[in-house]
Amino acid sequence: MATYAEMQQIFDDIRGDFRYDHELNGCLNCGICTATCPSAQFYDYSPREIVQLLWTENVEQIYDAMQEKIWACAQCMTCAARCPFKNSPGGLVAIMREVAIKHEMQSAKDVLRPFGRVMLKLITTGNQLSPDMIQPDHFPDWGPNIQKVEGDLRVLRKAIPVKTLQTVETAWEVSLKTSVEMYTIWEMTGVLKSLELMDENLFDVIEDFIDEKREDYEDWLEEQEEEDDD
Amino acid sequence: MTQDTVLVVGAGPSGLTAAANVTAAGYKAVMVEKEDTLGGAPILSGYAKLVPSGEWAKDAIGRMVKRVEDDASVTIHKGAKVTKLDGDAGNFTATLSNGESVAAGAVVLATGFTHFDSINKPEWGFGTFEDVLTTTQMEQMVAAGKIACPSDGRVPERVCILLCVGSRDRQIGREWCSKICCTVSANLAMEIKELSPETDVFIYYMDIRTYGLYEDKFYWKSQEEFKTKFVKARIAEVTASGDGRLLVKGEDTLVKRPIVIPFDIVVHAIGMDPNADNPEISQVFGVGLEKHGFIERAEHYTNTCGTTRRGIYSCGAAYGPETIDDSIAQGAAAAGRAVGDLHALVQKAS
Repeated sequence: MATYAEMQQIFDDIRGDFRYDHELNGCLNCGICTATCPSAQFYDYSPREIVQLLWTENVEQIYDAMQEKIWACAQCMTCAARCPFKNSPGGLVAIMREVAIKHEMQSAKDVLRPFGRVMLKLITTGNQLSPDMIQPDHFPDWGPNIQKVEGDLRVLRKAIPVKTLQTVETAWEVSLKTSVEMYTIWEMTGVLKSLELMDENLFDVIEDFIDEKREDYEDWLEEQEEEDDD
Repeated sequence: MTQDTVLVVGAGPSGLTAAANVTAAGYKAVMVEKEDTLGGAPILSGYAKLVPSGEWAKDAIGRMVKRVEDDASVTIHKGAKVTKLDGDAGNFTATLSNGESVAAGAVVLATGFTHFDSINKPEWGFGTFEDVLTTTQMEQMVAAGKIACPSDGRVPERVCILLCVGSRDRQIGREWCSKICCTVSANLAMEIKELSPETDVFIYYMDIRTYGLYEDKFYWKSQEEFKTKFVKARIAEVTASGDGRLLVKGEDTLVKRPIVIPFDIVVHAIGMDPNADNPEISQVFGVGLEKHGFIERAEHYTNTCGTTRRGIYSCGAAYGPETIDDSIAQGAAAAGRAVGDLHALVQKAS
C-alpha cells in the first residue's frame, strides 16, 4: 500500500499531463458515459466513477481504481462521443495507465505481461500476431473455439482461400527499413522506456535485437552505396 | 408620420404584447408576421395547457391575438417578412416581402426561437422509431385528448421523457439550458397521467430546474399526485426490442449500474434554438447576435430591451430561451422603451 504522499504524487502526475485539461471539463453526473460503455456491462468499471474521482481529486480512490478498474476500459471512446460536456473518460484512463506504468505499479505489470510475446513478435518480424502464437494457453480469453486451430498450422494455413505467405511465423513481410523506423518511433515516443519499467529482461532482449537490426540496416545501406559507385 | 409608429416583427406572445402596449401608450403599431397565423410557437406548434396558468394555449394566446386584431391602431401584415430596413432611430423605412413599405420610428424584434430538431441526436431514435416523439408532438396528442402509440394505437404502459434534448450539450454546440423544459415536462407528465391513468411516466434528468414557484406546483405535484418517477440519468441510446417496444439504455447514477428499460413511448424534451432566421434577421436589421446565435442585448442593466443598433429593440425568446410569462413581460418592457425613446426624440426636435 502506498503512502498518501505517493498517491498524491501519482495524482499530480495524472493532472500534470498535457492532455488532462482537454479531456476533463467538469461533470454533470448524468451517467451517459457509463450507460454507453461496453466494459461497464461486464466489469466493475464505470467511466463516470473515474471522472468523478479525478474531478473531486480523491487521491486514495484514484489509486485504488488504478489497481484494477482502469484496465477494464476497452479504449473504444464511445464515452467521449456521448459526453454532453465533451469530457473524454477514455482519454483520462489512457493517461492513468501511462502514469501507472511510470510508477511501475504491479497492476500494470500484471496486465501487460501477456503482451510481451506480442512485443517480441513485432520487434523480430514487424507483425503483431502470427499463426504460431495462436495457442490455447496463450489466449485463455478467446474461449473454447481456440481448440479449433490446434493441429498442423501449416496445413490449416494452406487451406485459407486467399493468398498468404504460407508461413506460420509471420503474417506478412516487413522490410528492414520499416522495422528500423519503427524502433525509432518507439524510442522517441517512450514505448521502450515504458517497456524497461515494466519488464527489464524483455527490454534487454529487445534492445540487443534492435542494435543487431540497425547494424544490418547500416550494412545494407553501405552495400547500396557501393553498388551505386560501381 | 414616422415617429408615432413602432414596427413589431413577430406575432408570438412577446410581439403581441409589444404591439398592444405600443397602442396603449397612444402610438401606432405595425405587425409583420412571416406565418399566415398569429400567435407564435404556442399556436403554430399546438401547445396544450400552458405553464403555470393551466389554461389551454389556444384560449390564452387566442385572447392576446384577438386583442391586437381588434385594435384599430394596429396594422397587421401576415405571411410577410421585412426584407430591407433603411434609415435611423426615429426614421426607419422597412420594405416588406409583400411589396409594401412601412415607415416607423422604432422596431421591436419579437422574432422568437426555433424548436430543436431531434434529428440532430440520432442515437435517441427520433425519425427512426415511430413511437419516439418530441414534447410538441406529445402536447398535440394531449390537446387531441387521447394518449396512444403512433405505431399501432395501443395505450402505452410506460412513457419516458428525456430532458435536455438539444440543450446543455457541447457535442452539438448547444451549451445553454433551455430553461422551460423541466417544468413543461413535469406538466406534460401530469397531463398524460390525467388522460391515461394506466400509463406510468418516467422523466430522465441531469438536473431538475423547476425554478421559483414551479417547484411545488410542478416538480412536487407531479410526483405526489401523479406518481411521476424522476431518474437521474442521461440516456445513451434508444433502440427497439423484438416485441415492438423501445429500449432505453442509461445509467442509474444513484444505484451506479447501467440499465436497459422497456418503454412504449419516448418523448424528447426539445430545447430552444436561436431562430433559424437569425443570420438573415441580423443582416436585414443590422443587429448583432450573441455567441450562441440569439439576438445580442445592448446593455444588461440600463438598456435591457436594446440591441446593438439604436432604435431597434428586442424581447422574449429572441434574446435566449424564455418562458411565455417572461416573454410577455419583456414585450411590454420593449414597447415602453421604444415609445419612451420616440417621445424623447420628438421633445428634443421641438
